Amino acid sequence: MKTQKMADMEEALGELWRLRERGEKRQDKIREQHHAVPPTIFDDLRDKNLIRTVGTEVELTPEGEKIARDITRRHRLAERLLVDVLEVKRETMDEAACEVEHIISEDVADAICTLLGHPRVCPHGSAIPEGPCCKQAAVNVEPIVLPLSGLSVGEKGKVAYIVTAEHPHLHKLLSLGIVPGTEIHLHQRAPSYVITVNETQIALDEGVASQIYVRRA
Amino acid sequence: MDRTVVLVGNPNVGKSVIFNRLTGRYAVVSNYPGTTVDLSRGVAIIGGQNVQVIDTPGTNSLTPVSEDEQVTRDVLFREKPHAVIQVADAKNLQRTLLLTMELLELNIPMVLVLNMSDEARERGIRIDRAAVEKLLGIPVIETVGTTGEGVAELKKRMLHPRAGSTRITYSQDIENLIGQIVTALPDDVAARRMLALMLASGDASARRYVAVTALERIDKLLAQGKTVFPKDPQLLFFNRRRSRADEIIGVVANVEAKQRSSRLARLGELCMRPFPGYLAVFAVLFVMYEFVGVFAAGFLVNFFEKIIFGRYINPQLVAFVDRAVAWPLLRDFLVGPYGLITMALTYALAIVLPIVSAFFFFFGFLEDSGYLPRLSVMLDRVFRRFGLNGKAVLPMVLGLGCGTMAALGSRILETRKERLLVILLLSLTIPCSAQLGVILGLLAGLSWKVTALWLLSITGSLFLVGSAADRLLPGVRSPFVLEIPPLRRPSLGNILSKVKMRLLWYLREAVPLFILGTTILFVVDRARLLGLIERLARPFVVHLLGLPVQVTPAFIIGFMRRDYGAAGLYVLARDGILDPRQILVSIVTMTLFVPCIAQCFMVVREQGLRIALLIFIFVSLYAFLFGGFLNYTVIALHLL
Repeated sequence: MKTQKMADMEEALGELWRLRERGEKRQDKIREQHHAVPPTIFDDLRDKNLIRTVGTEVELTPEGEKIARDITRRHRLAERLLVDVLEVKRETMDEAACEVEHIISEDVADAICTLLGHPRVCPHGSAIPEGPCCKQAAVNVEPIVLPLSGLSVGEKGKVAYIVTAEHPHLHKLLSLGIVPGTEIHLHQRAPSYVITVNETQIALDEGVASQIYVRRA
Repeated sequence: MDRTVVLVGNPNVGKSVIFNRLTGRYAVVSNYPGTTVDLSRGVAIIGGQNVQVIDTPGTNSLTPVSEDEQVTRDVLFREKPHAVIQVADAKNLQRTLLLTMELLELNIPMVLVLNMSDEARERGIRIDRAAVEKLLGIPVIETVGTTGEGVAELKKRMLHPRAGSTRITYSQDIENLIGQIVTALPDDVAARRMLALMLASGDASARRYVAVTALERIDKLLAQGKTVFPKDPQLLFFNRRRSRADEIIGVVANVEAKQRSSRLARLGELCMRPFPGYLAVFAVLFVMYEFVGVFAAGFLVNFFEKIIFGRYINPQLVAFVDRAVAWPLLRDFLVGPYGLITMALTYALAIVLPIVSAFFFFFGFLEDSGYLPRLSVMLDRVFRRFGLNGKAVLPMVLGLGCGTMAALGSRILETRKERLLVILLLSLTIPCSAQLGVILGLLAGLSWKVTALWLLSITGSLFLVGSAADRLLPGVRSPFVLEIPPLRRPSLGNILSKVKMRLLWYLREAVPLFILGTTILFVVDRARLLGLIERLARPFVVHLLGLPVQVTPAFIIGFMRRDYGAAGLYVLARDGILDPRQILVSIVTMTLFVPCIAQCFMVVREQGLRIALLIFIFVSLYAFLFGGFLNYTVIALHLL
């Protein structure tokens, strides 16, 4: 079991990662926006050589970078797990994910990642940092949920979720009947993907096919 | 007009056939999603009443993705119709009911038409119509558009539409929020509940139906009320509609046996496989070349121009005019070298008409068979190289028939960038069938090298300009998602009436321009301006392109219509004035050169004057510079 202090430090590093994604590195801004509790946390991080200050900006050291990346990965994977598999509501998801991220080990995170088919974005649309499993094991372990582009020709799958940031495109897929729970039959992958949904045949390009995640039938 | 009804439905469900049955007017019917890009209006006389019927582009949802879908929603919100007739594919009840659920939210009285019910029966899908009526609370009619079965009942019952008894309600909090938005909307806005739902789901395109002052209040309400939605409101609304639709389907539909795959279905699949799909693409292009290029542009044009017009009509008319018209100026205007009869009508009816008719026949066959979406599947990756997706196949292939129609067809594309790219490429590189036919006629007597160099120049320009424009223009390519209709055996009657309708449209557009072009030439010739223009054009035509100065008139009328210009080149080549190199350079320049006036007007209409002017300037510069480049390359490398 980790100490509270370690959890706080992980949390703070994760927050720094998130702020950096938004392009925020300035120390005063970070202090302003940083929700992590004890105010002394930055001193602790500096003492452990996890962050350093360059001029007015805060930077992660290589060790800090690794922890920040891992915690972000675990947090966002936890969100996906809660939303996609356990169907937890969004407002409770954040809180729960914050708890879960500290108790799962790297191995468990990889297992979740594989189970979910190595998702690339969290339910909020932020990128999930890749883990070792995404790079190598994708082929060795048969994931349960995988992008449509991962099915072989002739296979069937049920739509688990659709990862698309853009409103009109999501709506278009929904109105064609590509919705969570529907069965998709993949007919061909080249030159375009062709699927049958209900009684309708639909052609898709690879980009769209990799945004539709299905559970293998 | 006593009432207005609007036909709405998913793409490719036979709305236009039903429209045709109700009004007796012809709307383009085809087996390609997105053929109706404009509204067709007609009048049906039912029970002694005049009913205005509006046909709309197919749409899967009232939340629009492309411009043609936007058109449908505009009609519903702005025309305030008395009734909505939803035309549906009886085979696909889920998609049908998803749209029905949205339409019911509009609170406009409606009727549901389950069309293609014969195909549903064949597939063993049985629908309990009485149960659907009871559950939805609206009249439901089964029809077969192609045979007219059920249409009489539709005519009777469409006078008594109902607003429906099933309404989806959400949690108390959401309903309160929706209620507040509805109150904030002005009273004269149609379908306020639906509009409120659209605004709440973050559909930006719905905002244009609301005045700015009301929007401010609504945005405030939405910002405060955001928390009432447990997840994305769009998804929530959608899920509720879907689960209601599924509930209904569970009660009313019964699928007995899975249909076995027919030979036609098998063929439809094969057309999308790399093998033999690409072979099929080449086969289709080859048949098109043989039918339009060889049969129509060669045999038919020869027959009409040389025999019908050359031996019978023109000598008769010329003799008649010579006898009847005393005034020499008018006589020349009618039958002189730039005469209305000898030039405008002969070109229009003897050279261009046979070619265009053949192309429209062939295109109609492709459309109705359902092959075109399969062509989109095959060519998606190629089109991606110039920032388009497979859907752009429709306007581009149609452009081989008539660039003006094709420019209008660019509306089915989803992003602004795609529409602009298609219009640019249509203006620059795609020759229309009339021009293509004349060019093929020109090429027929020459070495294969000329044909190869022409083809290479045009496709090379297509890829060069396409990929450069893709990089330079801002915006994105939309993802390729296209519904593939089943392959069907086209009916000859449907193809022929479509050819007829398109030809009438074409003649109305083209013949006046032929006459205008000839008149301008005649005036220029009479006023002795031709010599002046030829002198001005000499540096370009003679020095840059290496052409005899006599081609100048062909380029001038090329402004009016490109095919007309090409026909001018055809005559020069036949008279031995052009050598093979000059033929090559002139037809390449002419193909790339600005499109006909009708297409120019359409480009202005679709893209605005500023962009249209930029396109025309670019196209003209490119055409002449490329022509010059080709001229010097051919000379330097001794290619011909």
